[in-house]
Amino acid sequence: MGPVFEQVGSMVILTARTLRSAIRAPYPYGDELIEQIVFTIRLCWLPLLASTFALNLGAPGLQAAGVLHVFGSLDRLGGFFVLTAVRWIGPLVTAVVVAGVAGTAITADLGARKIREELDALQVLGVDPIKNLVVPRFLALVLVTTLFDAFAILFGLASGIAAELIYNQSLGGFFATLFSNSSVTDVWGSVLMCAVFGGIIAVVCCFKGMTASGGAAGVGLAVNQAVVISLVGVSFFNYVFTAVLLATHPELQTIR
Amino acid sequence: MNTVPGLGYLGAFGEIGRFGARVIGIVWTGRAFRFFGESLRQAGILIFGSGLIIWALVFIFGLQCGLNGAYFVRAQGAPSYAGLFAAFCDLREALPYAFGYILSAKVGTGIVAELGAMRINEEIDALEVMGVPPVTFLCGSRLLGAWIALPFIYLVGIGIMYLASYIAVVKQVGDVSSGGYSLIFWMFQDPTDVIYSLVKGMTMATVIVLVGCYYGYTASGGPVGVGTATAKSMAFNIVAVHIIGMVGTLVFWGANPRLPIGG
Repeated sequence: MGPVFEQVGSMVILTARTLRSAIRAPYPYGDELIEQIVFTIRLCWLPLLASTFALNLGAPGLQAAGVLHVFGSLDRLGGFFVLTAVRWIGPLVTAVVVAGVAGTAITADLGARKIREELDALQVLGVDPIKNLVVPRFLALVLVTTLFDAFAILFGLASGIAAELIYNQSLGGFFATLFSNSSVTDVWGSVLMCAVFGGIIAVVCCFKGMTASGGAAGVGLAVNQAVVISLVGVSFFNYVFTAVLLATHPELQTIR
Repeated sequence: MNTVPGLGYLGAFGEIGRFGARVIGIVWTGRAFRFFGESLRQAGILIFGSGLIIWALVFIFGLQCGLNGAYFVRAQGAPSYAGLFAAFCDLREALPYAFGYILSAKVGTGIVAELGAMRINEEIDALEVMGVPPVTFLCGSRLLGAWIALPFIYLVGIGIMYLASYIAVVKQVGDVSSGGYSLIFWMFQDPTDVIYSLVKGMTMATVIVLVGCYYGYTASGGPVGVGTATAKSMAFNIVAVHIIGMVGTLVFWGANPRLPIGG
């Protein structure tokens, strides 16, 4: 267990150093930040939209519609989609896709630079790798994951509509229960959760990339560990955050 | 760079389909049994190397299912029906997805890293020179090993997920008694659902192992190439897991939700 705690501690230290480095002047990372944002969006948007649509159509869409269909209350599916698409599956799938697609690319990139000793060369040149490499990736992932949340929710709702159409139901009831049950708390909770997801993924993937070692297998293994740690960390944070949000906001527990 | 989005995925899909059909053919016709010892070794690596982390993620997903279900049915005014939500969520949806996520993260990328390093170090060429068929020895044995070990890991995962949901619903939120929860929970599932869920999970596992073998076997470009191939396999697997999950739900529960209610 010793190495596990050591790695978690190193990641926390890296988080603190990244945050401090992001706030303190100078700010040389502007171009790299834009590049990373564009890179992440270009890499992730198609997997994200396909994944959110597929997951929301299968899991909450058809399963819940099957139950509601028996009770003759398919219009209630909109209220159910506040729980799934907005509060739970939207952020989680966004995080899984960003970790699996953009996070792995970041680890592979940084790991390759570490293996080719470019990171050491940067340090010799007096360039701080945290400020110039980690900070732009961290900010880009936080920003892009938060942005993607909106699209994940939209496509989740689109698959809810598809599920209603599969059951030949008119959409008036879906939208009525959707809008009457959704609250601002749900949306900001979802967005805040996604921002933290982006931060977790960025720190884990940058850390694993920058500490890659051991030749050809090393970079691959770094990617492997980075994505495993990201997934477990993200889903555990999702559980803790949801538990706290639901317990402290009783207005989310009423049906309208 | 291709200009049409998704074209890269389609190309990869065709290549992986051809490679995967070859590997499945090797296992199906029994040629992989020539290296049965290696298959058992791969199965052992799966059990000891990946079992714990699979069950850990499954446990967390079970907690999420129970938590969201308990609060949702509380809002409906029917807290004793948390079991309905948990049964559907655990067995039918969350378990295959959790299994697929962690398999593509741990097993899929692990295979790419391992086979990719062997390709870069020219060990695969060495195998060929020694007269050992490399696809059979490396990919066939891994697929056979996965088919030996993963169904049991999946079935144990069902139990672990049920335990996690029970903890979240009965112990954490606590709106419903243990017996009341269990009554509804066991009422809304039957062994056929377990079989369907297992088929869904094992389809994902097969695809993930084949994708990992393909990207590892065809890796090129030094240590950097192995890292890129690993990242690519993960991106492909994430999309594949979600598509398989959706199609599985449509096929197994789309026309008949298999509910013990009404006629």
